[in-house]
Amino acid sequence: MRKPLQLSCFLVCIAASTYAASPVMTVNGNWSGSPVIAGKQQLKTIQRPVKGTVRDSNGATLIGVSVRVKGTTNGTQTDVNGQFTLNCNTGDVLVFSYIGYSSQEATVGTAETINITLTPSNDQLQQVVVTALGIRRSEKSLTYSAQQINGDELTRAKSDNLINNLSGKVAGLTIAPSASGVGGSAKVVLRGNKSFSGTNQPLYVVDGIPMTNGSNSNGQPNSPYGGSTSVDGGDGISNLNPDDVESISVLKGAAASALYGSQGANGVILITTKKGKAGKAQITFNSSAMASGVAYKPEFQNSYGRTTAKSNDSWGTSAAGQDNLGQFFQTGYNWTNSINLSAGSELAQTYVSYANTHATGVEPGNKLDRNNFNLRETAKFLDQKLTVDGSINYINQQIDNSPALGLYFNPLTGLYLFPRGADITQYKNQYLLGDQTGYARQNWDVSEDIQQNPWWVVNRNPNYSIRNRVLMNGSVKYDFTDWLNLQVRGSLDRTADSYEQDLYSGTQSTLSKANGQFILNNQVVEQKYGDALLTFRVPNTTTVKVDGLVGASITDSRRTGTTLGGGQGLSTPDLFIAQNTIVSGTNSNAATLAENHSQLQSIYGNVNLSYNDWVFLNVTGRNDWSSNLAFTPNGSYFYPSAGLSVLLSHVVKLPSAITYAKIRGNYAEVGNSVPQYVTNPVNYLDNTGSVVLSTVAPFGTLKPEKTKTWEIGADLRFFNDDLSISANYYKSNTYNQFVQVAPSPTTGYSVGYVNAGNVQNSGFEFVVGYNVIHNSNFKWNTSFNGSRNVNKVIDVDSKDGINQFTLTNNNNTNYKSILATGGSYGDIYGYTVKRDAQGRILLNADGSPQTNNGFNYIGNPNPKFQLGWANSFNYKNFNLNLLVDGRFGGQVLSLTQAIMDQYGVSKVTGDARASGGATVNGVNATTGTPVTNVDAKTWYTSIGGRQGISEMYMYSATTVRLREASLGYTFPLNSKGVKSLRLAVVGRNLLYFYKKAPYDPEMTMSTGNGLSGVDIFTQPATRNIGLNLNVTF
Amino acid sequence: MKRYNQNNRSKTLFLRLSGFVLAAIVLAGCTKDFKKYNTDQTGISNANLDITSVFKPLQHELFHNYQTAQNLSADGFSGYMMSPTPFKAAYDLNYFLIDGWDSNGFNDMYTYIMAPVNKIAASGARTAHPDLWAVALIVKVEAMHRVTDKFGPIPYSKVGTSLVSTPYDSQHSVYNQFFLQLDTAVNNLQAFVAANPGKTPFQNYDLIFNGDYTKWIKFANSLRLRLAMHIVKIDPATAKLQGEKALSAPGGLMSTPADDAAIMVTGGTSDLYMITHDWGDNRLNATMGSYLVGYKDPRTSIYAQPAADPAVAGTYTGIRIGAALASKNDYEDYASLNTNTTFIPTKPEQLMCAAESWFLKAEAALRGWAGAGDAQANYEQGVKVSMQQWGANIGLYLSDAVSTQAPYVDPKNSANNSPAVSSITIKWDPNASNEQKLERIMTQKWLAMFPEGQEAWTEFRRTGYPKLFTVVNNKSNGTIDTQIQIRRLNYPQNEYSTNGTAVRAAVQLLGGPDNAGTRLWWDVNKGNF
Repeated sequence: MRKPLQLSCFLVCIAASTYAASPVMTVNGNWSGSPVIAGKQQLKTIQRPVKGTVRDSNGATLIGVSVRVKGTTNGTQTDVNGQFTLNCNTGDVLVFSYIGYSSQEATVGTAETINITLTPSNDQLQQVVVTALGIRRSEKSLTYSAQQINGDELTRAKSDNLINNLSGKVAGLTIAPSASGVGGSAKVVLRGNKSFSGTNQPLYVVDGIPMTNGSNSNGQPNSPYGGSTSVDGGDGISNLNPDDVESISVLKGAAASALYGSQGANGVILITTKKGKAGKAQITFNSSAMASGVAYKPEFQNSYGRTTAKSNDSWGTSAAGQDNLGQFFQTGYNWTNSINLSAGSELAQTYVSYANTHATGVEPGNKLDRNNFNLRETAKFLDQKLTVDGSINYINQQIDNSPALGLYFNPLTGLYLFPRGADITQYKNQYLLGDQTGYARQNWDVSEDIQQNPWWVVNRNPNYSIRNRVLMNGSVKYDFTDWLNLQVRGSLDRTADSYEQDLYSGTQSTLSKANGQFILNNQVVEQKYGDALLTFRVPNTTTVKVDGLVGASITDSRRTGTTLGGGQGLSTPDLFIAQNTIVSGTNSNAATLAENHSQLQSIYGNVNLSYNDWVFLNVTGRNDWSSNLAFTPNGSYFYPSAGLSVLLSHVVKLPSAITYAKIRGNYAEVGNSVPQYVTNPVNYLDNTGSVVLSTVAPFGTLKPEKTKTWEIGADLRFFNDDLSISANYYKSNTYNQFVQVAPSPTTGYSVGYVNAGNVQNSGFEFVVGYNVIHNSNFKWNTSFNGSRNVNKVIDVDSKDGINQFTLTNNNNTNYKSILATGGSYGDIYGYTVKRDAQGRILLNADGSPQTNNGFNYIGNPNPKFQLGWANSFNYKNFNLNLLVDGRFGGQVLSLTQAIMDQYGVSKVTGDARASGGATVNGVNATTGTPVTNVDAKTWYTSIGGRQGISEMYMYSATTVRLREASLGYTFPLNSKGVKSLRLAVVGRNLLYFYKKAPYDPEMTMSTGNGLSGVDIFTQPATRNIGLNLNVTF
Repeated sequence: MKRYNQNNRSKTLFLRLSGFVLAAIVLAGCTKDFKKYNTDQTGISNANLDITSVFKPLQHELFHNYQTAQNLSADGFSGYMMSPTPFKAAYDLNYFLIDGWDSNGFNDMYTYIMAPVNKIAASGARTAHPDLWAVALIVKVEAMHRVTDKFGPIPYSKVGTSLVSTPYDSQHSVYNQFFLQLDTAVNNLQAFVAANPGKTPFQNYDLIFNGDYTKWIKFANSLRLRLAMHIVKIDPATAKLQGEKALSAPGGLMSTPADDAAIMVTGGTSDLYMITHDWGDNRLNATMGSYLVGYKDPRTSIYAQPAADPAVAGTYTGIRIGAALASKNDYEDYASLNTNTTFIPTKPEQLMCAAESWFLKAEAALRGWAGAGDAQANYEQGVKVSMQQWGANIGLYLSDAVSTQAPYVDPKNSANNSPAVSSITIKWDPNASNEQKLERIMTQKWLAMFPEGQEAWTEFRRTGYPKLFTVVNNKSNGTIDTQIQIRRLNYPQNEYSTNGTAVRAAVQLLGGPDNAGTRLWWDVNKGNF
């Protein structure tokens, strides 16, 4: 137990000493230099060493490039830094070859250094892949599936959260953007949901260093009501400037992410950012302007008005409806401008960028402003043996008026439920009654907790999410020899969030106090990371090659913060400063946020063996020590993986059409982090300064979740690589789930935890690419990616007799999200009707349906199959890209529709009234008389509403859409100043080819585990069209 | 050669340097601090706990989840209040019991009362601070009698002894334990007061009596009288024994409004204010309105706020329990509780009023218990103390021999209409039968105990008084008789999944199916005398 721990400490501390060590290295530099050069000069007449670096067109070094003197057996390979040294004669021709790249030749002249840039042999850039810890590997040696997305694909039709640009492009990846307007988070799931209580989102790694992806102190909503402190404040990944991204590698399976151990269960998204390029000075300017509008609107009836002059429903006599939505929704805009400057010599490269994003939402007042500054400096010292790479990112972001989702503080409830036939214009023109005081100040004729004047919400319940984030990375790498180097990295990721909501005097009385309320939550999340990585390649091997690494890392994360809110509201109305808040007696309305502190220490290693370049074996191991496991008997866990791939095309005689064939398989065990403090619950003070005793049972045997997974796959290319096919089958089982259980309160505990459960995800993925046409004038490349994931909850906690786990509780609505044994992740439970053997609905005498007791399964929102179809056309200087994607299967619940029906504002209720009643397939429960028609009001007020019969509001989640389209033109320029100029018309979410639900089922209320597949007055999805300009100087 | 050496030297130096930093950290220990990191520094560990600091929440949480634990059930069943909000088509107020609401009245009392009281015991308070322990016991009895009177047999003596299963005690046993625990509490406090006259060490932690232990003693004695009366039909001997013990207790009973037990508001806004005013989910019950109006009761405008709805504007027309509610604003502007001057945000939440003990004494006198005094005098004193408590001018109220409950008329829905169900008058009639005297006492006690619906519902079930309007719509699927009215609440469903064996055994103790039509142990279906 102790020994590996000390090794861990050893390596970790190397990491910690990053900066302490680097100046000394500079001193070292004085020892080398002239004597070596002198030595070389003496050897001038005979064979002499020629050295150089091989890079790809992006300037990244390539490892393992074969360098050979043409016509001889004299050759070598580039090392882990892409460098080679080879003895040769002047006049020799060197051949550089690397799989996936066009071979290149160079004649040895008098120069001692030959630097080569290899260009890809075809459009498939995926042949060198960034893998775990940021290591580039040739695709042929990978034993798992990884899909790499080029930076261009992320910026072609920009979204305000860059991760949304992966939608439809990666097999096995499901992205659900939050319906929270501009700057919103996104829920990203690879190969299905696995964890009951932990995160199901992948780990984001930027340039080899794990990044925090947290929201502000609001977190994600998990109540159908929403509320003042549950609006989405955006996630961490959305903070990045997409123009800084070189490429994204998606490591889907556990084997690919096994080196991340207890963080690797949900896959890893590796982001490689740009850096300066040697020998080239370049300025790139990108500008994009997009306009967005709501992509659909709920349907209203326009024939019936309110019941009485004061009632809040529309079940009355005829009245002509009006377009209230048109008065509210606006065109949103997104202007993104970015400039980056890069320059560099062989020894030092600089990259500087600035991006500004200004976006407005389709709801008035919703606004995003983001500024990204990035400086990256790379330099080599000590005869180019020491590489120093440092970067500083500063991100400043403000989101105003993130739309609240759910029933409270949501302008859409009032907007949609406003009685038909009444004129909403007066409420738009005047939402504030200046001559009133207290709650009466709001001009709205319906007093209900779930609805307020929409313009009041926008103007008098504003919220502000402000984020200031600094990301600093530094790395030092030293090459001891051409086969051994040590890299030490450190990073600091510090995010300061502030969330403020101002509730003006006049806000509905359930939601605020008479003089208004001020809510201010501040938090700082700081993650410090350090690692050390020793990378080696056993030298002088020919048939059997061995390379690998050993490393150690330490991650320390801490959240601190203070919240202010509640209490008795404000002393002076509408003055939103802390000293104006009042409390009663000895109470306090300030609170210190529970501090989240956790530390993870790890050691890991990886060995790759290859035989004759056609069999590859990859083994990894990682051991983690987590502070979250303190107070348990075992605080350390080991995560192994192994993979094998065989390049069939190298050993078996295949038909000539097949140019490349690889099969691979792997097995891995990885974990998912566990929450802090559950092994040692403490008591907390309430706002009166009294102690509220903890009723949480200490979890002294906590174990991390464990995912065991295997995967097999194949990569094939045909017809000179014009057709490529990649396919995978995988199966993963996640055990030791962290399950919160509620023991009988009579035990004295209200909350306990157990490790239990087994969630299985199995499925397949494929990617097919085909260069349909490629001649000098016209190119057409098409690709499909498809995936199916089957999720099954095999067990919840059978040993304790528990077979259900609630993800979202109903809170007096008809929606509940439950994980049940035999079910699958995200299952929706709701109220259902009683039916007879013929499937007819049992009706009471008044026509209202009879319901079953409790909550019953009514559907699952996850797609059964996903397909993305991307097309790229190039004709001379024109370029057209189209991305169509479809999600097939699944059902979603619309409480919006249910509540609109209850209030009689929806089109169906109008149609039913016009046709003399709702058509039902029912039967009178007592008399047995068939009933086909029920009075519209009776029917819709009994099935509708938040407590109505949710079964009636389930809709197919299948959607097929034109996700992205862009038409670009690159101007032919021969100017010295402007090197290239490209202009494109772009669009996102342009067209639904198929959509049956009354909302976009892809949108989610929460990017957490709960509230999936339900729409409770969420902002409609938007359709975006705009222009992109790209200029390089 | 030289090159190799240089590499070697630089490597060595590099490692040496790293080793140096490493050594510093290894010495400090790498995972040594993990326990510190994994302890929330913003909390208070059990070791650092000052036990007195748990008493405020202990008292405050007596009304935890007030809306679902009491207001949407007992406050309605007692005829006091009714919600205008159509939360669901079928819910407690039309006899379709919602587990998620009713279970709060069970679960919360274990989580927020029983568990902390056990921790107070574990802290050694029983011997180290017998006075604090006495308060804890009184709070525990107060809390748990509300639970047993809702559900029947409950886990009591064995709470906290197992993490897996907690057996239930019969209601008989629970009541016996209540009496014993009140013995301990009163003895401890008497001893403390005798030894430390005038001292109020509990003052800073007391939300009920400002640290005055003599008032805690009076409350405990009155609670004993209340509990004794609860069981008078099933166990008259014990009832008399405990009742007489209370009547002769040296510390006395609660007698003036200054003795009233009510919890100071700590959360900023009282539950009733929040539910009634802020949320608009609570209005006056038709029964309450009909008695107040029929009696021209001086407390009417203090308790209630007249309707604003044009259909009934200016009247004290409440809402009939079980009324069909299509939309909230149909009945939202009917008569409500007076949140302007009475049930204001800071109004302490009443557990027991002094008037109640006078009415209990009046009933005790009817039953011939020693030390009870004269029934009429107690009855009239009860009314006077109540008027005093609410600041009402009693006028000629006690001599009104004519006024009776008014009928109920709902202009919006005639299905809710009802003639008066009671003909009892106010003025004491010495020649009336015991049954009539009891109805008079119970009716006035009910008017006096407002707004504490839990005890009012209990006493209605025990005596059948005051006579209440029945539910208009009964959606209990036949488990509750509309005329007999609801007798109890169902055990929480979570008990069946987490404490199944015990709760199934409890249903045996209950002596009937686990539904709301089954009578509790003390709820005997026979005459009052």
